[in-house]
Amino acid sequence: MYDDFANPWTIRLKWSYLLLVVVALLSPVFYIVYISFNEHGFSARIYEFTFDWYRVVLSDTILVSSLSWTVYLAVTAVAVTIPMALLSAKFYKRSRRKVAFVALMLSPLFVPADIMGSSLLVFFKNLSGAFSWLDSVLGVNWFDGWFDLGFLTALIGQIIYTHPYAFIVILITMSRYRNQQTEAARACGATAWQAFWQVEFPQIRVGVFSSCAFVTILSFNEAVRTALLKGGFDTFSNVLVAQMLNIGMSGESYAMAGIMSIVSITVIGSIIVYTLVRAERLERKARAMAEPVMSI
Amino acid sequence: MESTATPSSSPTRRGRDIPASPVWWQRLLGENGIQKWVFFIPIVFFVLFFAAPVVLTIVFSFFERTQFWMEPGFTLFAYENFFTSARAENYVFSMLHSAAAVVVSFVLGFPIAVFVRRRVAKAAQHRVILLFILPFMISELVRVFAMRPVLGRNGVVNNFLIDIGIINEPITIILFSPLGVIIGDVMSFLPFMIFAGFLALEAVQNYIFEVCDDLGAGPARLFGDIIVPLAAPGIFAGSVFIFVNSMGVALVPTLLGGPGAVNAGLIANQAIVALDFPLAMAISTIMILTLVLLLYVGHRLFDLTKVLEPIS
Repeated sequence: MYDDFANPWTIRLKWSYLLLVVVALLSPVFYIVYISFNEHGFSARIYEFTFDWYRVVLSDTILVSSLSWTVYLAVTAVAVTIPMALLSAKFYKRSRRKVAFVALMLSPLFVPADIMGSSLLVFFKNLSGAFSWLDSVLGVNWFDGWFDLGFLTALIGQIIYTHPYAFIVILITMSRYRNQQTEAARACGATAWQAFWQVEFPQIRVGVFSSCAFVTILSFNEAVRTALLKGGFDTFSNVLVAQMLNIGMSGESYAMAGIMSIVSITVIGSIIVYTLVRAERLERKARAMAEPVMSI
Repeated sequence: MESTATPSSSPTRRGRDIPASPVWWQRLLGENGIQKWVFFIPIVFFVLFFAAPVVLTIVFSFFERTQFWMEPGFTLFAYENFFTSARAENYVFSMLHSAAAVVVSFVLGFPIAVFVRRRVAKAAQHRVILLFILPFMISELVRVFAMRPVLGRNGVVNNFLIDIGIINEPITIILFSPLGVIIGDVMSFLPFMIFAGFLALEAVQNYIFEVCDDLGAGPARLFGDIIVPLAAPGIFAGSVFIFVNSMGVALVPTLLGGPGAVNAGLIANQAIVALDFPLAMAISTIMILTLVLLLYVGHRLFDLTKVLEPIS
């Protein structure tokens, strides 16, 4: 029988490889953050720590304005996507045609950003044209500018992108919830809403909050779809792309990339740490309950 | 028992309150009203803003190009334009690069999924997988951008190799080249192979591995005959995700590919910048059809719904 626990070095080697891959995936990003604090920028022989590049970024009114647009977009995306993902997950659990439903909900994961963005761009331009035509036929201006490129179209693009992730995270949390609890609550006279809010939601809360964080970060980082659908405003990542392509890699670009990385690492890192600590706490509690009571 | 009910209060039968029948707004907000239909909102939204644009992309690809836009009609000019130009060749090359990215991701990532599933304690498996969420959630833009100071002439890799004496001159083939694009794709999408592989293996019962161990199957046989076939839906889902995104995300060849590097996403973007919307739609259509074909074949062969079994 093959057993890689027989030789402790085999298992150590495998763990080392796993950690090496994690480090390899993360180290370029940490290197960017490291450069962003160097007064002399990339490939300088001297390293002098400074916050100057960050000061330059945060004192640039265009960048601060793009940052506030990014925050509006992220907050609105969370406000719309999370309830929709909850509804989708609930629908999936009770649905009989799971395959068709899940294919519709998860397909956006497989459509690349540029392709989806191009399709939505042409769709919205046509929709806007169709609404203008309808206005002119009816002699009114009710539908004027409904789907002109702007905040709403960028938001729709982001919901299509972030919804599958939120749906999966909530579905994973819901898979541990037993429906019999809802049935019991209903049998005791609770309404559907009460059964959800007072019985089910407290148990899936962690997944819902995690998906809020994921959607915030995905929306904050999204560049391609938003660039095609945003119309007249700029988001932080759009400005970064424009800078990289037009000006090149300046100290300011490193600081902007640094801000995006630090925000993502802080939010997602906090969730991971919280999840690990919570799991540890629950495990300890379960062990304590399982231990036999000592007699005096 | 004497009833004390006033005419306005609820009626009673044998001393029990009979609930009053709901008024119209209660029926509207009730479980057979809005509460029932509210679950269809995501479906309506996705049909309207995902399925419809994708289907209309195919329709628009047959429209005729005007100076700044397009007009209804039926012409194959956009497809002719695509297949008779260097774009078709570039598309095939980007397919080859994407296939290479899939193979490298499988070789590097799938053994991690197997290791976590088989050798890490059940309670700790999800925590280990969580480690790969962090790099995946950092902006793809930043991750791709970060490869430039790492792989460049004066980058970390070249400086390190020169310092330890392995090379005398910087290696230039790892950036602004097809290899740079493959490295960028692998760094961007590798975690997905780990997630999808792990999810598929989670549905495999432990006793299967135990039986194999008891019967003395070696690691190679176990991997080739048991693990890969059982994890095939996950491997396939991960591979399609990496393949399609490597072909469609324009950022990687733009930042790491150097002059002349393109993929399907970049060709579509260039067509939009040139205001050739039918061509952009034709390229998107070819991309979407490639994706649909891959998913259909994968579903017929491996039943991709098995990937979701652990969370169903």
